Amino acid sequence: MFTKFKKQYKSIFLDQSSPPFYLKDKVNIILSPSLYWVKKVSLPVKYVRDVKKLLPSLFEDTLPEGNYSYGAYKSGDEFFIFAYLDKLILDTMAKKKIAPSSIANVYFAQSELSHLQGAAKINASQSIYIKDEILLLVPTAWVQESADLDISELIPTKHSVTLAQFGHIVDSKILKKIAVIMVVILLLTATEYVITAQKLAQITELKDALFAKYDLKSTMIQNKSILKKYDSIHSKQMKLRTSISYILALKLNPAEQLSQLSYKNNILKAEFSGVVKGKESRISELLKTKEVDFKSSFKDNSWQVEISI
Amino acid sequence: MNRINPLHIGLLLVVILMFLVFNLSNTKSELAKAKVSYTQTAKLSTRLSGLKEVYDDKERIKSSLKRILEQSSLKSANIEQELKRTGIIISSEDVDINVLNFLMSKLLNGAYHISTLKITKHSKTNASFYLEITW
Repeated sequence: MFTKFKKQYKSIFLDQSSPPFYLKDKVNIILSPSLYWVKKVSLPVKYVRDVKKLLPSLFEDTLPEGNYSYGAYKSGDEFFIFAYLDKLILDTMAKKKIAPSSIANVYFAQSELSHLQGAAKINASQSIYIKDEILLLVPTAWVQESADLDISELIPTKHSVTLAQFGHIVDSKILKKIAVIMVVILLLTATEYVITAQKLAQITELKDALFAKYDLKSTMIQNKSILKKYDSIHSKQMKLRTSISYILALKLNPAEQLSQLSYKNNILKAEFSGVVKGKESRISELLKTKEVDFKSSFKDNSWQVEISI
Repeated sequence: MNRINPLHIGLLLVVILMFLVFNLSNTKSELAKAKVSYTQTAKLSTRLSGLKEVYDDKERIKSSLKRILEQSSLKSANIEQELKRTGIIISSEDVDINVLNFLMSKLLNGAYHISTLKITKHSKTNASFYLEITW
């Protein structure tokens, strides 16, 4: 009741002489012998994976110049080995209006039609038939009786062909190397990103710890404003002390004396008694040498000096 | 036949790389800013903490003043103290000039926020003073 059915696709035979196909559904493509090279070989190896390494050298002297892909499968104690041009097959598919999305799988006619009885016509002038287990494409005139090829009931084998769609542009080995380099760069970048993010988190934690340790306000604007206030207090207190020290260090004449010193609202006032009008310039000069910015005036009998702190 | 185009994989890798590089660049920039901000905060907090301790630590100021005023030369002088919410006032209507000099040298050389000061000399030996320290 719940048996799964593998979807069966219709198969079409693709040759360079085939008419255009206008496909609505997916199909399996059976490649004509004109689209590949095949050999039957006996090799002292057991597995197909071992054969695959040897394929380029096995075809070395027989193939015209080109960027070939290779395939193989085992049949009894022997191997069928294939060489094909991906670009030739893909171009042929394109010429015959076969979109890549319409293709379920691609097979060599060799593997799918190995049990062909007699000869079969693939078009008006060409037929296929099997000789010494190899499927051959020959002119129809060479064979005696040739019926039209019927692959409507064909059940595909497992020997499907993988086409490298871009193999003719860039060597797949180079692509793999580029991919490996890209992945390594990605990993390095990702690692650096993680490390940088961790450092950022550590700095943020340290900053938070500073806020907690020194009981800082939540924003730096508030803290800067508070610091500005304390800096102002500090600089004014320093200036007050320096200015007082200059005033106390003044060398006065015996008749002159500092009678009052006051500081309020950032104004330091010093009141000198006994200073004769016109003689205050001596004290003024002493203050000027200390680069003290001050105002002075006579009030009643005293001379007043005002320093803005 | 619907194989993934290797160029698409390459493009995906490039997009991921660009995304990572963009994020890395942003994070590095944030890290640089965070380092500068941390250094500034560290400097600010150290300075602010120091200044607060000098000008805003009520208990330190009170105990320091107490130590000064309890010195033998000042203990006998007629110095009044008035504690307010915002600070402390110390004053005297009549104090010996030498005692006042001693007191002023201690206060002016110490770390106090003097907001008001008035010293009036009455004679060669006597003076009055009013000094307000705020916190």
